[in-house]
Amino acid sequence: MVADLRRCVGCQTCTAACKLTNATPPGIQWRRVLDIESGEYPDVRRTFVPVSCMHCGDPPCLGVCPTGATFKRDDGIVRIDPDVCIGCAYCAVACPYQQRHIVKRREFAYGAQATAAEDLRFEPRSVAVSTKCTFCSDRVDHAASPRLTPGIDPEVTPACVNSCIAGALHFGDRDDPDSNVSQLLAHSAHFRMHEELNTDPGFYYIVEDAP
Amino acid sequence: MTESAESPGTRYVATYCYNCVAGPDLLTVKVTDGVATEIGPNFAGADVHPGKGKPCVKAYGLIEKTYHPGRILTPMKRTNPLKGRAQDPQFTPISWDEALDTIAAKLGDIRSRGILDAEGLPRVAVTFGHGGTPAMYMGTFPAFLAAWGDLDYSFGSGQGVKCMHSEHLFGEYWHRAFTVSADTPHTRLNVSFGANNEVTGGPCAVARHADARARAAKRIQIEPHLSITAAASAEWIPIKPKTDPAFMFAMIHVMLHEHPRERLDLAFLNESSSSPYLVGPSGYYLRDPATLKPLIYDTRRAAAVPFDTEGVEPLLEGSVRVPDAVEVGADDERWAHADINASTAFALLVAHMQKYSPEWAASICDVPAATIRRVANEFLDQACIGQTIEIDGVTMPFRPVSVTLGKTVNNGWGAYECCWARTLLAVLVGALEVPGGTLGTTVRINRPHTDRLQSVVAGADGFMQNTLNPTGRESWVKTPTGRNGHRTLVPLSGDSGAWSQALGPTHLAWMFQTHVPENRPKPTKPEVWIAYRTNPAISFWDTHAIADTMATLPFTVCFAFTPDETNHMADILLPDATDLESTQLIRLGKTKYVEQFSHHQGWVLRQPAVAPRGEARDFTWIATELARRTGLLEGYNTAINRGACGAKLKTPQRDFSLDPAQPHSVDEIWDAVCRAASFDLTRGEAKHGLDWFKENGLLTAPFAQPNWYLYPTLRRQKLRFELPYQERLMRTGRELAHRLHESGIRWWDQQLREYQPLPVWHDFAGIWEQDLVRRGKRPEDFPFWLITTKSMQYHAGGNAAIALMDEVGRNVRGHRGIIINAGAAARLGIKAGDQLEIASPIATTRGPAVPVQGIRPDTLVIVGQFDHWATPYAKDLGAPSLNTVAPLSLELTDENGSGADLVRVAVRRIAS
Repeated sequence: MVADLRRCVGCQTCTAACKLTNATPPGIQWRRVLDIESGEYPDVRRTFVPVSCMHCGDPPCLGVCPTGATFKRDDGIVRIDPDVCIGCAYCAVACPYQQRHIVKRREFAYGAQATAAEDLRFEPRSVAVSTKCTFCSDRVDHAASPRLTPGIDPEVTPACVNSCIAGALHFGDRDDPDSNVSQLLAHSAHFRMHEELNTDPGFYYIVEDAP
Repeated sequence: MTESAESPGTRYVATYCYNCVAGPDLLTVKVTDGVATEIGPNFAGADVHPGKGKPCVKAYGLIEKTYHPGRILTPMKRTNPLKGRAQDPQFTPISWDEALDTIAAKLGDIRSRGILDAEGLPRVAVTFGHGGTPAMYMGTFPAFLAAWGDLDYSFGSGQGVKCMHSEHLFGEYWHRAFTVSADTPHTRLNVSFGANNEVTGGPCAVARHADARARAAKRIQIEPHLSITAAASAEWIPIKPKTDPAFMFAMIHVMLHEHPRERLDLAFLNESSSSPYLVGPSGYYLRDPATLKPLIYDTRRAAAVPFDTEGVEPLLEGSVRVPDAVEVGADDERWAHADINASTAFALLVAHMQKYSPEWAASICDVPAATIRRVANEFLDQACIGQTIEIDGVTMPFRPVSVTLGKTVNNGWGAYECCWARTLLAVLVGALEVPGGTLGTTVRINRPHTDRLQSVVAGADGFMQNTLNPTGRESWVKTPTGRNGHRTLVPLSGDSGAWSQALGPTHLAWMFQTHVPENRPKPTKPEVWIAYRTNPAISFWDTHAIADTMATLPFTVCFAFTPDETNHMADILLPDATDLESTQLIRLGKTKYVEQFSHHQGWVLRQPAVAPRGEARDFTWIATELARRTGLLEGYNTAINRGACGAKLKTPQRDFSLDPAQPHSVDEIWDAVCRAASFDLTRGEAKHGLDWFKENGLLTAPFAQPNWYLYPTLRRQKLRFELPYQERLMRTGRELAHRLHESGIRWWDQQLREYQPLPVWHDFAGIWEQDLVRRGKRPEDFPFWLITTKSMQYHAGGNAAIALMDEVGRNVRGHRGIIINAGAAARLGIKAGDQLEIASPIATTRGPAVPVQGIRPDTLVIVGQFDHWATPYAKDLGAPSLNTVAPLSLELTDENGSGADLVRVAVRRIAS
């Protein structure tokens, strides 16, 4: 995942798209955009930073999981098997990006009664377990048969990327030097969060063109 | 609509979102087992929609809107005859027959007595919400309104105080720009005085501005707080509220007095503006005595000649002797001159702006003079004077500099000065209505609404025709035709039906119900008031007073999604099928509001993704039934045939018209509209019906980019932009003063002083301080400026009841709170989260403190419009609102009936 911070305006369209796509309960946001201020008046900057699970190459959440619910797929996407997760929250503590969300109970947007859409989308396995961004891996998995490319073809691209009205979010294969994201990174100055922790996050932030 | 490969019970339905004027935006609805579950882009339209087929965050709330547990799902009637905020309306479900028959009986009775009352005012008033967007959801209701006849649209829901009001009036007057935009795809420098494009410009503006940043275009954002748009700008300049004209005047000063003339676009000034027109001693143009055409001085002939004389080389700047000329003033007063000394309009401008230096503006704006000077110089440096660009084979000037204005800047006191200065900045460098420059995008006061280039008609004196409300002795409309008196008080609002009424001072319609100024007849109450997609009890100012007035209206019909503060006063509630449940075909592309100038034009369908819930009915069905039961069916169908639903059903080329004598189903009506629209768009190649649009969603054809720009049309017609000198407005203002004074009206005198040929700086901010004194208060007791800003989650959405918007809105700073400068907060002992009370002279509002660095120490910001007390979910937010504490006031209303979202307040901590 690549976020071009020059383009993001913090509109939270990705946040809302993620919530609908993944039917997360109220207050659970697998993806959101931080609204960060720096400096002192009148020399102030305000920056919008999309965040989610970083799908780390060396995920701190994985090693602490006592049940093996957390696993990393061959393509690098970090997932949680809800049938194995016991909701112990070790992973939530271990994640330096605060991107693990324990859903404690079934909740609805408007009190005790589910709407028709909430009822239809309710997944009992998502309660009392840890949840997080999946990079919409169910969509990505559709790429295998019809020769579609995640990050290029909307059908197999994460919902947040599809929804981004600023064109700030990009998705692709960082191991393919010709992929859209590899090309973007090759031509830009970028960073990853908390590089010093050596988690090898799979989420990159572009700040300017390459020097 | 497309069946999904994922699951046989799942399908994707293409439709649109037009909740704000920056639409329409495309989207798809995922429907599983008959339930709408997800919203996503419609990538099938990515190449033809400026927003690349994507809707903004608001559209993602439409699922919750559809299934909201607080929805009104049956018609209801009020059983408590007492109205008011404290009264329980005791709404009781009724059948559609009872609801429609009750309304039809009221309307039928009115028709039997005449649709105008004894005062000449329409007995039926209607109020619709944001910027005309309700028309994109009300199906065939416009045909019902057309069949009805005279209606009063003057009870606003925020128009004048919440819209880009003066920009609408002046923009349309000067360059057919009801809304003004930078040519974002081409501009290199955008100087933005509070324009909040990244929030209110929709996916189109967000995408285009992101592209602009990627190509290193620069935006300088000048406003009191670090808004989202400021955050996405290269530079933020915090300016004191309501001092924007001083900044722009100083920019003009720099361009006129600190650079050689050659830095300006002299050809544009000479040929496309009124700069060379000669002005006489009374301030009016010197005119040829025989033809009354304004004179210019031809340096070739060394003589004053009519402006349209062929082969002239106009004198731009200077003073000349004119042997024989006449001035024409107010009420046809004339001055004949012989051998008179006269200056050009441009020379007067130069002299006029002499005093407005950056050093003069610095203390007013609280911005260093060097900063103002640098911005002006950058504007000149980037203007590319002399360069051209070829687009689609048309060569045009290329001037990639633009100036945009935000709400509160372009309405209320100082708006004339801001709008004039902004447009003049473009004129000085030839950047008006050319690639890269400052553009208009739509017309509403002029016609046709669908093509602003066609609205360009030659008028007097070499300018475009503009039909102002008359101010002559015989022609002035002394007796108001609507309850706000737009034709009586506001010449620029024109007389273009509903739009002009709604552009008049719509808060005056509410105010005059309780406070009638001297020598003005007390307006009657409308016997029936119909409201749709609007909640003026929240979205206006002094909202408690508005709600109280609403409670006095005798019979109110509200189309209702949930209970809200306005329909709390209703007698009948009608549940219309909402966004994902109903059918309508609307126009897409071409040039529309805000930044919606497109390379395509066409039509897009809203279609039912799911069946309407409960007893909710498609608006077209409701309109047809109302027409039938009111005896207006023939007129209603005739209006549909005439094009009230967007496309004429019958033309010499084809006939899809409906039998006027018969009621028609929703699908029959829209099928005919679809066929007519597609026939015209494809020049007869297609007659796609409703089923085709349901399958494909939209139909488009190319729209040539040169049509974004007005300049070629004006050149072709040898017309000039009516700038810099405002001779006609001065004459109009003086005539209006005569008429009002003859009628004993003196309460508009301060407004009348604004009709200046060259605007002068007043202490605009001081007007708010004077208002405090007038109310018996001390300005020092109200030391903060309270302003407001919009959020994309809520802007124009009517969606305060949607929990999802609140949840994601809370990721953006300030939502639900009061933004205050961190230093100012510390001085007052205020910490983040402390409960604050904001007090104006009329009311208080409360919310938690949000201390930040990115705001001036003298300014507070409240995001959005809240303070709900009846709307489900929203009433429990505890969010503050500027609207509650901002007074409705004649003194705070400018000459165009416009006010600014601004109020002086005190702040105190009431709880930690």
